[in-house]
Amino acid sequence: MLVLRRSYSVPEHVSMFAVGAAMAGAVYPAAVAHTGWPGLPCPLRTLTGVPCPFCGMTTATVAMAHGAWGSAAAANPLAYLLAVLVAGTVPVLLARAAGVASGPRPWPEAIQRRARWAVAVVVGLSWLFQLHRFGFL
Amino acid sequence: MAYAANTPAAMYANWGQRVGAYLIDYLPVFVADAIGVISRNGIVWFLCIIASIAWWIYNRCIQAGRTGQSLGKRTLNLRLISENTGEPIGGGMAFARDICHILDSLACYIGWLFPLWDAKRQTFADKIIGTVVIPA
Repeated sequence: MLVLRRSYSVPEHVSMFAVGAAMAGAVYPAAVAHTGWPGLPCPLRTLTGVPCPFCGMTTATVAMAHGAWGSAAAANPLAYLLAVLVAGTVPVLLARAAGVASGPRPWPEAIQRRARWAVAVVVGLSWLFQLHRFGFL
Repeated sequence: MAYAANTPAAMYANWGQRVGAYLIDYLPVFVADAIGVISRNGIVWFLCIIASIAWWIYNRCIQAGRTGQSLGKRTLNLRLISENTGEPIGGGMAFARDICHILDSLACYIGWLFPLWDAKRQTFADKIIGTVVIPA
């Protein structure tokens, strides 16, 4: 039976995006300062005043890219999880690029289900954190 | 060919391809709007806005709806289809899909990132309309 596999696993995809976001975060303050671009506001917070679970990620990413770990945690601790994910997956990506690691294997369905629940809990906690940060809790 | 729930993720266009197609689709809009703003002329600005909207309707709604391929998707060899029928979704549904992209932006644009981890590499808009993007 033909088994098609992802070129990269979901954590690797997210990790690669996070690396790109960190690189963008490194130049973001300069880009904003030189262009006067107001940045990317959260539409939900702009429209309703209520933050979403991912509010503060731009601030946290920029802070982390500049080594301001405390500011990153204060804006959105999810950035720390992404940093851990990057630290865990980059060696695997490099090993695969060097040809010493095989392609990703699909997780068993039970593990995938648990992972989805874990992500849902983390996102829920992040929302509570943001609601507290903006004075709703 | 309908795309079943257990179709492997590798059969769907990846996030990078989709972002690339989207940027190509909106490049003419960006250029027209930039010309309109730089011109500092109300009539030129108005004509550029009209041209942008016309391009969006033609490219993202009519072309993508009828053939499954907007300019960006054609350039990157992708195709937008219904996950139930495997056929292009038609202009009206393509229009509705683009309107539904508003929901992808709502919570810090997280819906746009969904193809990074979703099993069918769908955005919120894709889930609502029932579409998938596949290699052509």
